[in-house]
Amino acid sequence: MSSRLGGRSPTLIILCSLWVLVVGGLAVLRPNSISTGTMTTVLQFATILALVALGQGLVVLCGGAGIDLSVGGAVSLVAVIAMLLTKTGVPGLLLPVVCCLSGLGLGLFNGWLVAKLRILPLIVTLATFYVYSGLALALTGGAAQSGVPAFLIPWGRGDLLGVPLPFLTLAIPAFLAAAIVLGATSWGRWVYAMGFNEESARLVGIPVDRSRLIVYALSGLCAGAASLISLAWLGSGRPNIGQNLELTSLTAVMLGGVSIFGGRGGIGGVFAAVLLLVTLQTFLLQLNVNSIWQVGIVGALLIGVLLVDRLSVTRR
Amino acid sequence: MMRAIPSLNGRELTLAGALLAALLIFFAASPYFATADNLATVVRNCVELLLVGLGMTLLLAMGAIDISVGMAMGLAAIVVGRLLAADMNPALVAISGPIVGGLLGLFTATIVVIGRIPAIVGTLGLLGFYRAAIFLSLGGEWLSGLPTRLTTMLSASAGGVPVSVIVILAAYLVVWLAIRRTPYGPHLLAIGNDEERARLSGVAVTRVRFATFVISGLLCGLAATFYVSTYRNVEMTIGSSLALDAIAAVVLGGTSVLGGRCSLIGTVLGVVLLRVLQNGLLLIGVPSLWQTVVTGALLLVILAAEVASGRFSLQSLRWRTY
Amino acid sequence: MLKSLKLVLAAATMLGAASGAAFAADKNTVAFVPQIVGIPYFNAMEAGGKRAAAALGVGFIYSGPVDTNPVDQLQIVQNLIDQGVGAVSVSVLDASSLAPVVADAKKKGVKIFTSDSDAPDSGRAFYVAQATDEGLGFTIIDEMVKRVGDHAKIGIVSGEATASNLNAWIGFMQKRVKDKYPNVTLLAPQFAGGTAQRAAQIAADLMAANPDIKGILAVASTTCPGVAQAIETAGKIGSVVGAGYCSPNTARSYLKSKALGFTVLWDPEELGYLTVWAGKQLIDGKALSATNTVQGLNHPVTYDAKTGVLLLGEPAVFTAENVDKFNF
Repeated sequence: MSSRLGGRSPTLIILCSLWVLVVGGLAVLRPNSISTGTMTTVLQFATILALVALGQGLVVLCGGAGIDLSVGGAVSLVAVIAMLLTKTGVPGLLLPVVCCLSGLGLGLFNGWLVAKLRILPLIVTLATFYVYSGLALALTGGAAQSGVPAFLIPWGRGDLLGVPLPFLTLAIPAFLAAAIVLGATSWGRWVYAMGFNEESARLVGIPVDRSRLIVYALSGLCAGAASLISLAWLGSGRPNIGQNLELTSLTAVMLGGVSIFGGRGGIGGVFAAVLLLVTLQTFLLQLNVNSIWQVGIVGALLIGVLLVDRLSVTRR
Repeated sequence: MMRAIPSLNGRELTLAGALLAALLIFFAASPYFATADNLATVVRNCVELLLVGLGMTLLLAMGAIDISVGMAMGLAAIVVGRLLAADMNPALVAISGPIVGGLLGLFTATIVVIGRIPAIVGTLGLLGFYRAAIFLSLGGEWLSGLPTRLTTMLSASAGGVPVSVIVILAAYLVVWLAIRRTPYGPHLLAIGNDEERARLSGVAVTRVRFATFVISGLLCGLAATFYVSTYRNVEMTIGSSLALDAIAAVVLGGTSVLGGRCSLIGTVLGVVLLRVLQNGLLLIGVPSLWQTVVTGALLLVILAAEVASGRFSLQSLRWRTY
Repeated sequence: MLKSLKLVLAAATMLGAASGAAFAADKNTVAFVPQIVGIPYFNAMEAGGKRAAAALGVGFIYSGPVDTNPVDQLQIVQNLIDQGVGAVSVSVLDASSLAPVVADAKKKGVKIFTSDSDAPDSGRAFYVAQATDEGLGFTIIDEMVKRVGDHAKIGIVSGEATASNLNAWIGFMQKRVKDKYPNVTLLAPQFAGGTAQRAAQIAADLMAANPDIKGILAVASTTCPGVAQAIETAGKIGSVVGAGYCSPNTARSYLKSKALGFTVLWDPEELGYLTVWAGKQLIDGKALSATNTVQGLNHPVTYDAKTGVLLLGEPAVFTAENVDKFNF
């Protein structure tokens, strides 16, 4: 198992080449869009997806048919919970804490069902997807909840030398932390081992269930952080903010070279995939291509990258 | 699980019980629930999900999955709609649905089986691909107010039973016979249990996998025909929640996502229970936004109840092809 | 093998993108971002916008999200701002849809205004309105009561619960009933999302839950076919009157079959035209006066500087009699 960060796997090479092609194409077709402003836009829109994809990536890596279909619903519900609590008097200063704790709680619920009750992640997270996204809409009647504390907005919309603050202060540290944990700690090695071959992992004494519980909780935490960013950025809590995130984050994780069976791939690839996806979207939007093409191209891209991966890597 | 005498297993019994309980509760809580009109409405709402769910049951039993079924239904619906608008013979229009669906199933199978891409990821990619295809084929418009010839043909009744019910019963019967009386069933479940072992035992894995995807496609196409005939409208967002709803209904019914277990009755019970809940809740005044919450909660309750009662067999999580 | 595959992949990406590429976007361009692409209503606005662009000599960009996701819409708006388009109009999904980008737009000299759906406190230049929200809510209730009497029970099937313009119209419907028709029972709105199947399912369940229901209002043009079809399928033509904010083309067959009694709308093509015209005024730095004659529209449009609303006109009522005169 060589690549913690997805080092020299063909997927990373493909992603980087595609990214270069996209940026190159943009430079040729619309030269004035190569600017700091565009970079800020790309990073701004990549932040939420990046965090959610990180959580999804960890879940898929730890194996056991790991998948988290509830991430989008969790982001929406956390936003709603946070705003509703703020309305009932919880001090605005605690909003970040509320978001992270709610996310953690939602993720723990998933983890408990998966790890302790041994129910399949696909089923568990499908059910919690329905519950979380439905609750977000039902509790608010669809109305956006305003009242985000004023101190958060400059952070949500600000940037430092063109890099959006949330990206700089949340997304990058999160990925770095995850990379270090996965690459340099024994717990990280356990996660890979569990994904690679669960039976052996158990036999060796790795606490598979407990680790899985933690991973799902972390995915919830990432969703909570993403929700916080959405609140700070938009200035209100939208009950459908997480719409489609589950499928987009899964696409990013797959594009990033993580194996759906777990145990293979790295979050560096996930990071690169997120950036590629958003850059591609920006590329198409700058050329005013109908946004339906994004959906189609990304779908075809996913299949294409996987076909290429199939041809160049021997299966275990 | 091959049983010589058809009897309901644990999950199916639980669902049947839940369905009965729901029917009784709604009957007591609302005077309008048990009317012929209302029950006919519920049945009509079940049609597409029953058909797509049947295909999904086979896929899940085989250890695969297809999250692009809603989009496949959409593409087939576009063809059906256009042919209908072009004044073609309603019978021909009706079978064009399954034909297009079958072709799409073939395409999906090629990507997943020949490309050796895990089904969940392959169909995730196809979801986007088909969705773009839907938009581009519609040209960004809708097909609205389609002619009623197809509707008249398909909403007729033969001996008091609506055509749709007959078609669904026939579909389930055919699939049931295929599973019970032909090698297809055991091969399907063998692949779901352990693909490598199945292959080594001589099961024509590729052929069975192809066949299952094509069957699922055919059923989606059939669902498309009914969709167009019932709603006479093909919009861009068609089928958007169908895949997840189908998976939820099938899982509710006891078919295992890991493969190796297949319950047609369970799927029917799951679909009907879901639709009865949606209908009943609205009748007793629960706002429509709570319906998804109830669906999810139901799934969780049934799963948790089974674990608690010890009936949930701890299957080995050794992972195979999706 | 791998290398050529990569090239093919890349070429495919480029081809797909380049086939739709527009080299537009300089300062003399107006852009319109709908709530979602691929529905007849916004297609009509696009057509009107194109017509105005041709007549007035400006560039026109029409770009929208493929589902009602606020972040997707925001991404499109941000990219238009980055392109340096002269004026961007948005049919906002919610007031907060614009908040993050307004400051950036101002910095880059891009004018932002809303059209079809408003975000009043966002700092937008003005709002191009098809009719007042109040007018829309009141008219549909008045027309319905005309047909079902003022002691009737009326249901509401809306699309997305998160669309603020739809909720505004529902709010005015409820207000009208409270003020003027106290004996009318207006049921709480139910939300069907964007498919005909869900709209039909919910409308049918509403009719089952309330057998004495006399009318159903389809708020959101996506729910129109579903609601009308449900009335037809249930055999309730004549006993239940359907109505909604539906385009004539979608409603035509149902108006003729009497499943729909009437629809209330405006001409979205004209709204699109007016949107581009208003954008041009912004680009040229011309202020709007209280009454404006718009070249290409056959009636003047009023502007209320206090609320910043440029009003297209009154809502129009379509019935089986006049529906054939229109094609959108």
